Amino acid sequence: MSDQARLERGYRRLLACYPRAFRRENGQEILAVLMACAPDGQRRPGRAESADLISSGLRMRLRPSVPRSARTVRAAVRLMWAGAAVSTVNLIIVLAVFGGLKARHGRFLGHSLTAAQVSQLNTLIIPAVVTGLIPVALWLWMARANGQGWNWARSLSTVLFGLATLELTHYLFGFGEVFGPTMFGVIFPALTWLVGLAAVWLLWRPASTAFFKPLGLTQAGHSAQPSSRIPWSSSRWPRQF
Amino acid sequence: MILTALASGSQHGYGIITDVREISGGLLQLRPGTLYTALDRLRADELIGVDREEIVDGRLRRYYRLTPAGTTRLSAEAARLQAHASTALTRLNLAGGTAT
Repeated sequence: MSDQARLERGYRRLLACYPRAFRRENGQEILAVLMACAPDGQRRPGRAESADLISSGLRMRLRPSVPRSARTVRAAVRLMWAGAAVSTVNLIIVLAVFGGLKARHGRFLGHSLTAAQVSQLNTLIIPAVVTGLIPVALWLWMARANGQGWNWARSLSTVLFGLATLELTHYLFGFGEVFGPTMFGVIFPALTWLVGLAAVWLLWRPASTAFFKPLGLTQAGHSAQPSSRIPWSSSRWPRQF
Repeated sequence: MILTALASGSQHGYGIITDVREISGGLLQLRPGTLYTALDRLRADELIGVDREEIVDGRLRRYYRLTPAGTTRLSAEAARLQAHASTALTRLNLAGGTAT
């Protein structure tokens, strides 16, 4: 294998850090620039350029991919990130409560939990973690899909918000009558519900609707939008990226 | 800096990198990863657009150009920097004439 081929293969591996849609749109072009910038005889990507490609790719994967002109969608995506953060904090607190149970039991009752009690507690932790992770994953997924302009994501976000509304109502007026809603139990669902309400409201603003229109329906002014952000655009370059 | 590089006409990625290095007097060395992240953002903000594409030696070469919004943004930013520089020079002159 020649030095050039080896170098190109190294760059291709590093470009895998970028989102697939971005690679398909820009991969060949970036590769051409990387090869043009490489001095003669270079056999593998340098440390600095590797770090640059990895950090740029990861940054691109993480950032909201919404143009500034679509302000309402940008705001909605940011709110979804905030929703994910709130849900994560909620999960951490739940786990901390479980962890603290054992310690408190020993401190106040003077003896440790029995093996059977520890086992029972552990069986509760797993469902708690799973039910805590689901909303975090849903927030992130919706943020990503809405940011990419998928119309179904907007509809699904609304359905999920509807379910969250039912869940909150059930908690406040169903369980609450039996056990009484606790402050901790109300704060996080209420907070995430408010975030969801604001996000859904923003997603259905007239300004947002323009962003979600399929490419074929957009006006000429929208053609400047990069196709890497338009999931329905066809790939023009090889799928090796 | 990328907008400045495109102010005089369309350029491809490698051209932008070399132009930015020249404009900054060698102080700024854009790396391809950083460049294309920035280009993607500028395209998303509709400040630049693709002018044309060519295949050179079997490799894609895409030329970028300023959009009208990009030209307006660059003009505004240049005017703002010029105003800051003028203010700084004026005040330095008033303070003791250290600036020439």
